Amino acid sequence: MLESTPLVQSTPLVQPAKLGRVAAYEWSHRSAQVFIAAALVFTGVAVFVGDTFFLRLATEALIYAGLAMSVDLLLGVTGMLSLGQALFFGLGSYASTLVLKHVTPSFWVAMAVALAVGTVAGAIGAVLSIRARGVYFALITFGMAQVVSKVVYNTRSIGGSDGIIGIPVIKVNLLLFEVDTASPAGFFLLVLALVMLLYFGLAYLLRTPAGRVLVAVRTNEARVPFLGYQIRNARFLAFVVAADLAAFAGALYPMLRGFVSPELMYFNVSGDAVVTVVIGGLGTLIGPIYGSVVITALKSIIGTYTDHYPIVIGALFMLAVIAFPNGLMGAVDTLRARRKGGSP
Amino acid sequence: MGALVDYIQFVLVPQVFNGLTIGVAVILIALGLTIIFGLLDVFNMAHGEFYALGAYLGVTLAGRGVSFWLLLLLVPLLLVPVGILVDRALIQRVFHRKERHMLTMLLTFGLAGVMEDVFKAIYGANIIKPATPLTGGIDFLGNYFPTYRVFLLAVGALTIAGVWLVVNKTSFGAMVRAAAFDRQMAASLGVPVRRVYSATFAFGVALAALAGVLLAPLYSVFPTMGKDFILLAFTAVIVGGFGSVRGVVLGGLLLTQIQSLASLYVSPVWGDPIVFGIMVLVLFVRPQGIFGGKLGHA
Repeated sequence: MLESTPLVQSTPLVQPAKLGRVAAYEWSHRSAQVFIAAALVFTGVAVFVGDTFFLRLATEALIYAGLAMSVDLLLGVTGMLSLGQALFFGLGSYASTLVLKHVTPSFWVAMAVALAVGTVAGAIGAVLSIRARGVYFALITFGMAQVVSKVVYNTRSIGGSDGIIGIPVIKVNLLLFEVDTASPAGFFLLVLALVMLLYFGLAYLLRTPAGRVLVAVRTNEARVPFLGYQIRNARFLAFVVAADLAAFAGALYPMLRGFVSPELMYFNVSGDAVVTVVIGGLGTLIGPIYGSVVITALKSIIGTYTDHYPIVIGALFMLAVIAFPNGLMGAVDTLRARRKGGSP
Repeated sequence: MGALVDYIQFVLVPQVFNGLTIGVAVILIALGLTIIFGLLDVFNMAHGEFYALGAYLGVTLAGRGVSFWLLLLLVPLLLVPVGILVDRALIQRVFHRKERHMLTMLLTFGLAGVMEDVFKAIYGANIIKPATPLTGGIDFLGNYFPTYRVFLLAVGALTIAGVWLVVNKTSFGAMVRAAAFDRQMAASLGVPVRRVYSATFAFGVALAALAGVLLAPLYSVFPTMGKDFILLAFTAVIVGGFGSVRGVVLGGLLLTQIQSLASLYVSPVWGDPIVFGIMVLVLFVRPQGIFGGKLGHA
């Protein structure tokens, strides 16, 4: 169990940071366990009533949660606002699509290629962007996504503006058994397992010495060089890992929906991921997962009344930035502290 | 020799002229962006949406029979209270926290999303094409220049000159520059800093709205129009240097000319990558921009 490796005393790994307060990872893990339990109950109920629609929707929420987590690693942990994270999500989805359709219908090959593409693209993106700070960094990431999505949009050989359809249904070989991507419950559970693995893996990474430097870059950038670490290396690492996360999540998308299109790289996808992270809780890693579920649910509920859910979600987002910079996780954190009688 | 003259007259001149009208559009949008950033340290992600708001207000009022010429004055004026409200109700709420850059960027980004969807809710997703208020064209040395574009260039040049005068030669501009240079000192010398902030934000937003009214007949009106020029405007601000009026003008002209002339030789698809490449290059070589330096630092 990850809990058994104690943190340095009871000090939260991430100090109460400047933008939003970050929950200690111990209780983030409890939130993760609660999430898994709730997801399993949901699956049970869905299978029992024979639902497909909500299982598919929930799978999509989890895939976007992976993207949001990658934004959280950059923004919440290292303090870099990426406005173009959809670029890597889209690259991952195209890589996986091309492998599944033209090379081999193997899940693992598709994921490996997507990760390779994510790493290479992430390294290039990092070289272009990490020298810049704050607003400039955000603008470069925005520009990168803008440019690549336009290039994809105009490249006929990969479907151009239409994207690619007809991605085959595949069987995911898990040694002991196989999961069919066409099975709503099976694929949901697979994606759940993968996203939670990403979460625990990332939480683990942040406890390693390299990971602590990432956190330190945001908490007190000026002091990091005095400890003998290069800020640029830390930012590079964060950027590439985040690109990998996004590409990984993106690679799952075509398996769910059966198509990809340049829209996956558009600004609103990147923007939605930022919204998800802020609403869920910056710097918590688990917040983006809850946030993604909440936002998908909101979209679906509001969507039955009106097409204009972005107004509601946007207003909620602005409210969160002004009044709840810790997002959902922070609000729950405060409630728990209040119930215990201590000041938060 | 004749071929070269022909090339210049019939290929280069129209292309440069086209580039100039886009350049004026980009500069008008970027001016507000750079002034707001220079003084408030706020990067207004919703700037493109204020440009769209100006265009939509123009369309609505024109539908009520208001003449185009009156709109040029009326719409920016109407945006002033809107700008003050946004500054007071949203930006000032996070202005004094740490990580101001990030918070205000997030906030205005959220605002942009809401505004875009409000446009969609009220006007629908369709493209509205307002009638061109000036038809016909001017023949000059064998070239044909549409009158409205010539008018746009003239108004653009006047506006840019006006903004320069306001920033550099008026007492309001002096207060803005003083507040940007040293807020505490300006405040202790009696500059109403908070009011200057609101006024500056409103001023920048009004400029974007003016651009919206002016450009609507050329580039049409639709909910996502704010995103169309925004990469160019961002880049013009970066290339010119944040907070510099002169930098934005030169940056905007440079970029749009490069883009427009490049489209003669390579597919226009490459327009955005070229702009982006320039942005990255400038940030690498000269992060403060070609004419960098904060507003007020001369």
